[in-house]
Amino acid sequence: MGGFVLTSIGTNLLQGLLLLLLAPLFSGIISKVKARMQKRQGASVFQEYFDLWKWWRKPSILTPYTSKVFVLAPIVYFVTAFMAAMMVPGLLKTGFSYGDAFIFVYIMALGRFFLTLSSLDAATSFSGMGGSREIYISVLVEPAVMLAILVNSLRYGSTTLANMVIDYSSIYFTVSAVITAFAFFLVIVAENGRLPVDNPDTHLELTMIEECMTLEYSGRLLTFIHLGTMLKLMVFLVLFGALYLPVDIPVLLKALMGAVLIGVIETLNNKMRLFKVRLFLSAAVLLMAVAIIAQ
Amino acid sequence: MEGRFHDSRMIVAKPEELRGRANIIHDGGRRPLTAMFGRDETNNGGGYDIYVVFEDIEKHTFVTVKAIFDPDGELTYPSLTRIIPGAGWYEREINDMFGIVPQGHPDLRPLVLHESFPGDYYPLRKNVNKTGQVRGEREFPIAVAKGEGLFQVPVGPIHAGIIEPGHFRFSQAGESMLQLDAKLFFTHRGIEKAMEGLTPQEALPIAERVCGACSIANTWGFCQAVEKISGIQVPKRAEIIRTLLSEIERVTNHVGDIGNIPAGVGFQPAISLGARLKEHLMRLQEHITGNRFLRGMIILGGVSMDIPPDLSDDILSVIAETENGVNDMEVLFVQQENFQNRIRTTGTVRPQTARDLAMVGVGARASGYAHDSRRDFDYGVYSSLSFAVRTQSGGDVAARLKQRFDELKESFSMIRQLIVMLKQEKTGLMIHVEFKAGEAYGISESARGSNFWYVAVDEAGTIDRVFIRSASYPNWPALTIAVQGDIIPDFPLINKSFELCYACIDR
Repeated sequence: MGGFVLTSIGTNLLQGLLLLLLAPLFSGIISKVKARMQKRQGASVFQEYFDLWKWWRKPSILTPYTSKVFVLAPIVYFVTAFMAAMMVPGLLKTGFSYGDAFIFVYIMALGRFFLTLSSLDAATSFSGMGGSREIYISVLVEPAVMLAILVNSLRYGSTTLANMVIDYSSIYFTVSAVITAFAFFLVIVAENGRLPVDNPDTHLELTMIEECMTLEYSGRLLTFIHLGTMLKLMVFLVLFGALYLPVDIPVLLKALMGAVLIGVIETLNNKMRLFKVRLFLSAAVLLMAVAIIAQ
Repeated sequence: MEGRFHDSRMIVAKPEELRGRANIIHDGGRRPLTAMFGRDETNNGGGYDIYVVFEDIEKHTFVTVKAIFDPDGELTYPSLTRIIPGAGWYEREINDMFGIVPQGHPDLRPLVLHESFPGDYYPLRKNVNKTGQVRGEREFPIAVAKGEGLFQVPVGPIHAGIIEPGHFRFSQAGESMLQLDAKLFFTHRGIEKAMEGLTPQEALPIAERVCGACSIANTWGFCQAVEKISGIQVPKRAEIIRTLLSEIERVTNHVGDIGNIPAGVGFQPAISLGARLKEHLMRLQEHITGNRFLRGMIILGGVSMDIPPDLSDDILSVIAETENGVNDMEVLFVQQENFQNRIRTTGTVRPQTARDLAMVGVGARASGYAHDSRRDFDYGVYSSLSFAVRTQSGGDVAARLKQRFDELKESFSMIRQLIVMLKQEKTGLMIHVEFKAGEAYGISESARGSNFWYVAVDEAGTIDRVFIRSASYPNWPALTIAVQGDIIPDFPLINKSFELCYACIDR
């Protein structure tokens, strides 16, 4: 039994590392899709690796006004994303299922909590605004995520992530499944700060959300944040593939489809007014509710 | 003194009468304020002067009230700002540069000279040397709103993008902007001072480089003033070419500005399309003049190069392409409901505010104030072109965007009319200019609004005083009013819809 647990933790670890390795590539693919759709050449899909390496070699500059939280937060943020990556089901067949959906959600929330703390820590008005916007959005995202879990747990009678993977023998392209997939995609967009909710590649400090929170970071600490953000997006894309997109193809391929879709949406959309985000997310919540009823 | 200008009236007043005279001429806004500037005539046996220039739209001319101050006497006068709000910045600038104090000014903080300048340093007085460095200290307070729960957000002067320096201080109640104070003039170049003592010929390249976006408008304003002083008439073909260049410059700027507005909301396809169209136009400009910013073409007395028929054809074809691209862009904007949602009712300037602040150009016209020097003053060949001065009523970002689209349509038509005119008027590129002493105004409508120049040439044939008021100058204060009540994430969008120029005021 002990050996089984160890190997399966090993598999989980392996899966976390695999996703970590792939995450910058997926972000690069999104950027490439956007560039090509705007008729630009765009940077190489591997650009994100170079950027991470660049930041990694640079020292972090800390203001004398920050506390330990400021140094701790990026690491917690990264580690929580990594833990989530270890938990996602459906990719490697991990037998060990410590991955309860609620643990998953709140591990993510822990990372965000620390990032928000760090935004207040440097006491600049910018990052504080970013923190307040992040909380505003996360308050709206959370019900949608909860409902997304509820749909699947009602369907499979379990809140363990491994048991919630789409079972193609019982459901395949039902109304409920399609609606849930659509709603979960809206959640991905909001949760990961993509357009139209947040603009990940703007330099306009006044309009940003996540980038605004992390303005004070540099060097290695910034690497942790960026890696954490990419990994988080990756995790959500895999989750989207494994749990929600009702098409019977390999999960990574579905995640890739999700990434391309994000690129397309980011090209076709502009950032919405900050206070309209609630309408965007209430659409997600409503769709989830409909999916539960249609169950 | 009346009739000293070729086409405008001047009224000389005592300092204490300035306010009363100005009020009568201003007539509640019927003759809007054009500019207000100081001059040091102590070397010519005079005193310090303040010129207050108004536009008499109906008579297509300027009316000036000039107050003469005894340099040894008290350098104060009753402030005009409370009756003519648009005078606010000018009075602060005169206070900085000449030390002439407007009494009763509601906000008499320094404007141009920041905290690193000595307190009693008045650079535009003749007794201040042109060269040499100064360093000192003075107060430079920033206006902020105070109260429970309010906080400030400082932005700049160094920004994340590659733009010019400006410091914006937002007083925030949560996401809402209560107040904005802009600290500008960071790179004050002393251009007006630098031009003093140069011949107009030597000053021309400097005039051309005041601003990159409106080099034609500035050069034209400067040349007009010098040509008026010298009493020469520029040949017709040169006037047509100047007008043509001015419209091409407007098209390039408007296309660039339209392409920049979606950058405020991250609307990528429109940004890319705008950048592509602008690059085509920049290349056309290089093709015409050898310079991407149309420099070196307008010279004193005419133009330096001709536009031969094959070049005219190239212009027409690029303009036709641009017109298609602009139409595509307009469709793109209209179809993007999410984009429309962002730009409507955002950053509103009410019509009365536009008039009070004596705004110019796109900013004024988008708020229903039909101010356009091409119609109001007879210069170039605009009087023989058929065009309409379009206006919008909204005064918001959407209105300023639409205004640029409308103006582009007029400009495309004007360029085509001008090319036809070029074919009829075969000769006359330039005329020799014999510099005379005197003073005159020059005006030309740049893409952002009217650029006003004042040039005074002394008996030695060198420049005694230059004053440059580019279109951005009267419009900057409007930006700080437009943002009030909007949320701070909308600021980049509002800012881009005005697209004001820092270099134009850093003169």
